Amino acid sequence: MTLIVAYQVFMRYVVNASPSWTEGTAILLMSWFIFLGAAVGVRENFHMGFDVLIYVLPKGAKGVLRTISDLAVFAFAAGMVYYGGTLAVRGWGVTIPVLHIPQTMTYLPIVISGFMMCLYSLERMLLRLAGEPVDEPPAELVTEA
Amino acid sequence: MEYWILFGVFTVLMMVGTPIAFCLGIASFATIVYLGRPAMVVFQQLNSGLAGFTLLAIPFFIFAGDLMMRGGIAARIIQFAGAVIGHVRGGLGQVNVAASTLFGGISGSAVAEAAAVGGIMIPQMKARGYGADYAVNVTSMAALIALLLPPSHNMIIYSLSGGGRISIADLFTAGIIPGLLLAVALSITAYIVAVKRGYPTEPFPGFAKAFQYLLISIPGLMLIVIIFGGVRSGIFTATESSCIAVIYALLVTLLVYRSLSWSEFVHSVMGAVRTTSMVLFIIGAAASFGWLMAYLRVAPILTDLISNLTQDPLLVLLLINVMLLLLGTFMDMGPLIIITTPIFLPMVQQFGVDPVHFGVIMILNLGIGLNTPPLGPVQFVAAAVGKISIWTAMRSVWPFYLAGIIVLGLVTYIPALSLWLPAQFK
Amino acid sequence: QTVLRSSDTHPDGYPTVEAVKQFGELLNEKTDGRYSVEVFHSAQLGAEADTIEQTQFGVIDLNRISIGAFGTQVPAATVTQLPYIFRSADHFHNVLDGPIGEEILAAFDAVDVVALAFYDGGSRSFYNSSKPITSPEDMAGMKFRVMQSDIFVDMVGALGGNATPMPYGEVYSGIQTGVIDGAENNYPSYDTAGHAEVAKFYSLDEHLMVPEVLVVSKIVWDGMSPEDQTAMREATKESVAIQRELWAAKEVESKAAVEALGATINTVDKQPFIDAMKPVYDKYVTDPALQDLVARIQATEG
Ligand code: NA
Ligand code: NA
Repeated sequence: MTLIVAYQVFMRYVVNASPSWTEGTAILLMSWFIFLGAAVGVRENFHMGFDVLIYVLPKGAKGVLRTISDLAVFAFAAGMVYYGGTLAVRGWGVTIPVLHIPQTMTYLPIVISGFMMCLYSLERMLLRLAGEPVDEPPAELVTEA
Repeated sequence: MEYWILFGVFTVLMMVGTPIAFCLGIASFATIVYLGRPAMVVFQQLNSGLAGFTLLAIPFFIFAGDLMMRGGIAARIIQFAGAVIGHVRGGLGQVNVAASTLFGGISGSAVAEAAAVGGIMIPQMKARGYGADYAVNVTSMAALIALLLPPSHNMIIYSLSGGGRISIADLFTAGIIPGLLLAVALSITAYIVAVKRGYPTEPFPGFAKAFQYLLISIPGLMLIVIIFGGVRSGIFTATESSCIAVIYALLVTLLVYRSLSWSEFVHSVMGAVRTTSMVLFIIGAAASFGWLMAYLRVAPILTDLISNLTQDPLLVLLLINVMLLLLGTFMDMGPLIIITTPIFLPMVQQFGVDPVHFGVIMILNLGIGLNTPPLGPVQFVAAAVGKISIWTAMRSVWPFYLAGIIVLGLVTYIPALSLWLPAQFK
Repeated sequence: QTVLRSSDTHPDGYPTVEAVKQFGELLNEKTDGRYSVEVFHSAQLGAEADTIEQTQFGVIDLNRISIGAFGTQVPAATVTQLPYIFRSADHFHNVLDGPIGEEILAAFDAVDVVALAFYDGGSRSFYNSSKPITSPEDMAGMKFRVMQSDIFVDMVGALGGNATPMPYGEVYSGIQTGVIDGAENNYPSYDTAGHAEVAKFYSLDEHLMVPEVLVVSKIVWDGMSPEDQTAMREATKESVAIQRELWAAKEVESKAAVEALGATINTVDKQPFIDAMKPVYDKYVTDPALQDLVARIQATEG
């Protein structure tokens, strides 16, 4: 992404001809990064929530709440697969202007990310049932003030 | 009923501790299913919310900030700043506000700003014994200065939403004094809190040492000159400047300071990917939620409530401020400007409020909303960089909110703060 | 009673927004209150490409949109995006009001919407911050922001300029700081976006007259009784005349406004510009059916 935008600036000044594909390509790449990163976030538990209740409740209730959350994640992720898939299929016949690729490419990351999120949220629920400490915040985000 | 589903599902899931992005997504999904309309739109907006070129600045500034932090650029700048104003109580809080003001002249996005300044300042502040909550709150509130100082793409959105006749040049100029006022207010607040908490002062190291620190930090400081000068003189756009920041930060750390190891570089990339995907995934889900709010006409319904309550201009402005603060709690700035401007602007114009003045009020007000949970993107970024929960940050944020509200009050009821400067250019 | 949700990217009060509102009132009368229309202006429901999809899968019912937003999805409609295809406003109206207009409207069936009518969107011309443009030579090396569309990018290239990609919101500061030299648009947008403040030279080359189109979701259309469908067609036809009047008034008003801001407007001998478009036409009008359509448009009087 960095290289693409740098190339855009370079072309404008050095060659004085702006490539018209750079903006769209950079945005498309970014959306792939974000959706795949967000899926990994489900596994590594780094998505940010409003954890007020979790702090005050006893341990057993926490597990229940976390399971509800995982179910919500699973449901939305399933929606990403199904509806994202529908959008991707519809987009096959539509060409993104300037980039000349089918619009499917913009919806595909939603589908793949949704699929990964489904697996990861299932994994979390199963591991929790098995008594694994899946609800510990990731090491990177731990430090409390 | 659909209103209850949208806000009810969202609130319940949020209380349960579901990640915000999924609260927003499920609430939107449940509502559209209840309405019996195709749910594809929720996932379309999830994607469209991320399709702006200006959003690219976010990962770039996060990455650049991380590089500057790990590669030692930030450490050297702060060493210098510490030598200059560190002897003030809580000096790094002052440095944070000052840096935000400088960066605010480069970027118009408070989110990118929190990532850039916060990425450098928060770890340094924590290392010097400042509370992470203090560091996060100073950063997230000071980031709002970026919205008021030019360039500000939100002001362009406001002008377009106002349907014309509002000069963007005037809006840009009008934001300068309120932006600086906010900087001063936050600086005072940061000082008072620092004194109360007994935060450290740095000893003044003497002029010779300060000058030496300046020389060491010049390659880093040049980045501000390059970005600021580059954008001002039109060599590149604000979005492109964030990319230049990454390249420049890499070059300086690799070639000048030679301070970045390969493993640190990989860490930096991974960290930027994490933070970016978390924040932008929320922004995407917020687009779905915002779309449903527009579809259900939430904003106009609230407006009707206001105009039924009062016709007094001072009260109307007060009520609009309260309402925008509430809406800003749940929604992001861009969509809110687009939805509420066409409704509120004609209303306040009837009472003789200048559209440029109202624009500044709106930007500052919705800016504060970027720092209020449950949906506070700037706060998310700052808290993520500070590695604390929103809840931890919230416990001590009130003095900073108070400062923001006081400035908002001044800007609302003293039109000259906004309108005097543009008038000088006529 | 069914409330139809209609999307528009323009702000409240804009001629297209007002025309759709009046269309809604006419429709309400003609269907004895069975249908009314609620306009979501200012792109509240999303960018143009988004709202097209939303209309297609039926989450919104009506959409007032620029034909340019359909890109090349509707081949027959693509010809209206060709530079200099329309010689004048009269020519534009004669083509769209006649059988060719009907043919283009019908072509939208292929993309799951029913196109009801064309509205005026004015003519787009180049504006820049340095000099009046009178010939394609003047554009050599100049950077213009255009919409993300292949035809428009190629058009600027064929005229010797550089098409520069840029989000619309960055155009103002882009011109101000010199990242780009200018952009292109109609009078009302040139005025309301404030671009006249930073790019004072507006050169009337009128390269594009892209029609606005009012479409209804096929799902909604198929659910209407034949009488209501007829009522909708009639209401649309009547709203076209209203919109044209509103548009003409808006153009006069905007022209006065940009002149008051200090804009210099110059006329242009269009022939050299038209001559430069040959490669663009060669590239996009390859299908014999489209070649025939272009020939018939050019043969239409006006
Ligand atoms: Na700014
Ligand atoms: Na908020």
